Amino acid sequence: MPHDLTIALRVNGRKTEATFPARTTLADLLRDRLGLTGTHLGCEQGVCGACTVFVDDLPVRACLTLAAACEGAEVVTVEALEGPDVEALRADFSREGALQCGFCTPGMLITACDLVRRREPLAREEIQEAMAGNICRCTGYNGIVRAIEKTVDARICAEGP
Amino acid sequence: MKPANFAYHRPGTCTEAADLLYRLRDDVKVIAGGQSLLPLMNMRLAEPAHLVDVSAVPELRRTDLTAEGATYGAATTHMMFEHQLVPDVADGLLSHAARGIGYRAIRNRGTVGGSLAHSDSSAEWPTVMSALGATVHALSVRGERRIPVTEFLLGFFSTALADDELITAVSVPRIAPGTQWGMYKMARKPGEFADSLAVVQVRDTGASTPAVSVWLGAAKDVPLRLKHVEKALADRPDRSLLPADLSGPLAADIGADTATASPHDRHALQLHAVTVHRALMAVGKAPHAA
Ligand SMILES: Cc1cc2nc3c(=O)[nH]c(=O)nc-3n(C[C@H](O)[C@H](O)[C@H](O)COP(=O)(O)OP(=O)(O)OC[C@H]3O[C@@H](n4cnc5c(N)ncnc54)[C@H](O)[C@@H]3O)c2cc1C
Ligand code: FES
Ligand code: FES
Repeated sequence: MPHDLTIALRVNGRKTEATFPARTTLADLLRDRLGLTGTHLGCEQGVCGACTVFVDDLPVRACLTLAAACEGAEVVTVEALEGPDVEALRADFSREGALQCGFCTPGMLITACDLVRRREPLAREEIQEAMAGNICRCTGYNGIVRAIEKTVDARICAEGP
Repeated sequence: MKPANFAYHRPGTCTEAADLLYRLRDDVKVIAGGQSLLPLMNMRLAEPAHLVDVSAVPELRRTDLTAEGATYGAATTHMMFEHQLVPDVADGLLSHAARGIGYRAIRNRGTVGGSLAHSDSSAEWPTVMSALGATVHALSVRGERRIPVTEFLLGFFSTALADDELITAVSVPRIAPGTQWGMYKMARKPGEFADSLAVVQVRDTGASTPAVSVWLGAAKDVPLRLKHVEKALADRPDRSLLPADLSGPLAADIGADTATASPHDRHALQLHAVTVHRALMAVGKAPHAA
């Protein structure tokens, strides 16, 4: 019988040691062992984007990442997103009605956060394309894209020339 | 769903990985980015008893650049090609192709070696690497060998790799001076696998008509070189062939009989003709390598 594995990593800024069966995905580690249920699981095949988290500063699918492969990694989930970019995103998501049931929202926020921090002016079509890997079952895409458009523009302006 | 149980191995070197693969060869899978294997394991379509995770092997992330071309470590991610964190010896084609693969979160983990080993002809790397004349480097306890990509890809999910062999790298020759390329991916939405995928290279040889090579993915179980289309283009130096002109030679290349083809096959042929046409139109238009 395969043995459990133990790894050390950082989750949301905290040093964490976790022991789990090898088949545990990062998503299951976060949700079932660390109680971080903000990371949602929709499809478990990489398509819906609900489970997207930052690993070493890059957005990845937590359902397609083995927890075992995260030895020494820095993981950030929706629970720990903070700073002016994220505050602006949250406010714009709220103002533009960018969530209904909220199931897709954690993945939307991580993916959007990665876009906003690039400080690249983005046309609506470019935002749509960049968000194509995050599915909203409530289909509120217009609000989501509008909110991200506003935040991207506002954060570029806020830093001004 | 969740993967079935397996034992997890995390070698630090290629030699160690090859030893593990040999020892566990009866029921083992390499895992690199996991972006094709884990969906299969989550759906229990694959249930290997052992996984050898090569994502922590530094040698597999190395790039060696020479006058002839570059050798990219097998675990070089799509993202690294996209953002040219590795040199692009195909004048921007590698970066352009990588950018079209899945979504950013997929590109951050998925690797070139994994994509070639997976051998899905609707994926980007098999067609692009075939078109560029790339070579796969493989390692096992028996030693190293090099396999041209066109001989490596045998069919859907089928390659020349033995069960205990590891892809260590892929070598891409420098695109010849005076070559312009065009690529087009036809897909239902950004990030989906291609319904059709064409790569065109036009090389100015000094002769009256330039040398043209045309490759097509997603039509057969392996990427196809379109010899009849190339011939039709040789007669038209301005390459002004429309999809309707292309579908005859294309049908010959794919081995389709237009007279007896089903509506579905005729539709597919039309998609491929439009895709090849768009790749031809794109020649020389995309940004070059930095
Ligand atoms: C939602 C989604 C959308 C996608 N869209 C696209 C797309 O549009 N275009 C596209 O091309 N791809 C797409 N992909 C697939 C993606 O590109 C994968 O990253 C790639 O196919 C496999 O690379 P990997 O490193 O993740 O391999 P893994 O999943 O780790 O492995 C895949 C296979 O290769 C073998 N393998 C891996 N590395 C080695 C090695 N070094 N030596 C020997 N065998 C090895 C494994 O044993 C396994 O059989 C998509 C994937 C998802 C989940
Ligand atoms: S649950 Fe990971 S992408 Fe859908
Ligand atoms: S808000 Fe319900 S799934 Fe997006």
